[in-house]
Amino acid sequence: MDFSELTHQSEIRDSLDKILLEQCTPEKLKEFDVDFKHDEQLLSLLARNGYLGLGINEEYGGSGENLYDLGILFERLGYHAAPLSLVGCLVDVAQTIQKFSEEKTHLALIGAIISGEIHTSAILEPLNQDPENPLTRAEISGDNLIITGTKYLSELTSKSKSILVSVNSNEGVLLVLVDSNKVSISELATTANSPAFKVDLDSVNVDRSAIIHADGRGLEALKYLLQINMVMRSYLALGITEKMTSLVASYTSEREQFGRVIGSFQAVSHRAADCFIDLECLRLVNQQAAVNLNTNLDCENDALVSKIWAGNACHRISYSAQHLHGGTGVDKDYVLWRYCLLAKECELINGSASQNIDKLGLNITSNQ
Amino acid sequence: MLIQLNTKQAKLKAELQEYFEGLLTPALRTELNNPKHFEGGGPEFKKAMRTMGADGWIGLSWKKELGGKELSPIEQYIFVETVMRTGFPFPFLTTESVGPMIAEHGSDWAKEEIATKILRGELIFGIGYSEPNSGTDLASLQTKAIKEPDGYLINGQKMWTSLANFSDYIWLAARTDFEAKNHKGISMFIVPTDDPGFSMSAINTLGDVRTNATFYDNIRVPDSNLVGEINHGWSLITSQLNLERLALVNHGPVEELYRNVLKLAETTKINNDQSLADLSWVKHNFAQVYAGVEALKLICWKQTWIMESGQLNMAEASVAKVYGSEFFIEAYRLLMEIMGELSLLKNDSELSVLNAKLERMYRTASILTFGGGTNEVQRDIIAMAGLLMPRTR
Repeated sequence: MDFSELTHQSEIRDSLDKILLEQCTPEKLKEFDVDFKHDEQLLSLLARNGYLGLGINEEYGGSGENLYDLGILFERLGYHAAPLSLVGCLVDVAQTIQKFSEEKTHLALIGAIISGEIHTSAILEPLNQDPENPLTRAEISGDNLIITGTKYLSELTSKSKSILVSVNSNEGVLLVLVDSNKVSISELATTANSPAFKVDLDSVNVDRSAIIHADGRGLEALKYLLQINMVMRSYLALGITEKMTSLVASYTSEREQFGRVIGSFQAVSHRAADCFIDLECLRLVNQQAAVNLNTNLDCENDALVSKIWAGNACHRISYSAQHLHGGTGVDKDYVLWRYCLLAKECELINGSASQNIDKLGLNITSNQ
Repeated sequence: MLIQLNTKQAKLKAELQEYFEGLLTPALRTELNNPKHFEGGGPEFKKAMRTMGADGWIGLSWKKELGGKELSPIEQYIFVETVMRTGFPFPFLTTESVGPMIAEHGSDWAKEEIATKILRGELIFGIGYSEPNSGTDLASLQTKAIKEPDGYLINGQKMWTSLANFSDYIWLAARTDFEAKNHKGISMFIVPTDDPGFSMSAINTLGDVRTNATFYDNIRVPDSNLVGEINHGWSLITSQLNLERLALVNHGPVEELYRNVLKLAETTKINNDQSLADLSWVKHNFAQVYAGVEALKLICWKQTWIMESGQLNMAEASVAKVYGSEFFIEAYRLLMEIMGELSLLKNDSELSVLNAKLERMYRTASILTFGGGTNEVQRDIIAMAGLLMPRTR
């Protein structure tokens, strides 16, 4: 048993904080509240300093296959509300290819991603409750796949050179890299102004070599993708809820009513303490999931537990924070409102708490 | 980073599991099912304690030079976990809190006579801290010990003195300085329960666990019954609080109950094709408990790991206490819902399930949210030490 962070991990956190504190100023975040939310300048800064290679094997130019390192990146991006949506690129595409592909052209994408190029995923489908079973279909004829279907909540698709798509076929589930100029995309307006797209694939023709995994491993690869996606989103949630909790602590320690700071009322401090408890639980279940995923490809229950805690912590801490801030919490000149919207996004994307409780319940009762 | 037991720790756990399999004879199990002996004290229990003493399984936290095993906090946690899973009412407070304090700070008599017997499994202590008017504010206690030429004269009343009905001694906190500020005038004494000035009345509780009000009427004890320095008792009371609190919220019992209810639900047919565990709401309840137990396990493990390195994180210790005690209440409810009305049947009833352990744990869980440092105080600590918020009033 050893919960300690390695020296390099604390250093990553500290140096990321330094950069993000400088870059994610209130003025700049305000601009991205209305503009297309993608900070090119910040992305290239992170690329130049090697942060996009966290969790990537040295062989491909990264700093080592450690998902805990990558978790720190998402935690800090969440904490600073950075205008970068990188789960699709760094997690879905880079991590899945790293684990499942042996094809040089695919592996080359990892190097490109590390240097700041965007490649994204298109996995989720409107109203499909089971992303492991995509509605999007591929007809296989000879060496060609003809893909038809609709995906949504694909990140930064307009900036992406290629898109990793999950499909069903007569060979089962496949993960396929599709050239983005072969699909039609439209931008969705999301509550947090995140750069999310709907992707329509209308008989898109791709070569068999675009499948990123060995024959018969598609479902395994998709499951892995969904699991690390959950865990890294939970790390985003951790940063977001950590920030909200610290805002609560500092605001209620300064705001005075009835001649004293409101944080000295037990009703207030106890609600803040409950935020702290949720936050600690989330931190620990995330740590367990990341560490276990480092050594084991299938950690579905650990991933579900972390996403369940992320969903609950996002919801509870967000509303406690708004309530304890009074009107300040909803004022767009203060910072909290932005975190509340990000929290709701983290809570719902790739499985809400209730949905994942359902899934976990199936797993733990049928495996006995 | 390793978020699981290492090889050595896993080996200890397996060894302990095997040991307790052998220790819990059918006769002992039957005795422990009797409400009178839920907390121990019966002949089979006494026999088992002596066996454990002889086998060297008492005194885990004690220093080696005092005859103990000097296990690390993680190993102690594993011990508590394994014992609690079996349901054996191991007297942790006697053996792991009072014992090592007497062995370290007691008089020569206490070291030879009391500490050795605790190690051999021959003595049980009741804890005399709380009083009718001193609970959460323990330092306001009023039981008096007045210095006489060759000892102390003790008068007062204690509340919630559990195990007193079969204890040999009371580990008693009494006021010895009436001028000093609250916590600065308290001393610790070993008080024999066979003294004619000692009496008690039973308090029967919701969970059918007996506790007691104990009375101290002109009891004289020699100087050698004082433990530690005079007026310095408070530090003895608080010295092991963190390990004690952690033992209260050990994840073992709730995880064991989860597994047992799951096994039962999977084998309980509700019609020709379905078992109880096939119902979706039942699965949801199990999943809620699973997700909660995982967090509890990690909180406790992290705490022991912090203690192992000799550090103390006040906020996280309180997180463990609050989260654990409140989660138990919720988990027992969710598991009782699964068994529904069957959960209401007592263990000697026809149709009773799991030996009625479910309802019994539910009935006894409520004491943990206020016992061992009430959760309001713990939340105050979290806000102050964890969030650096102002002191509440």
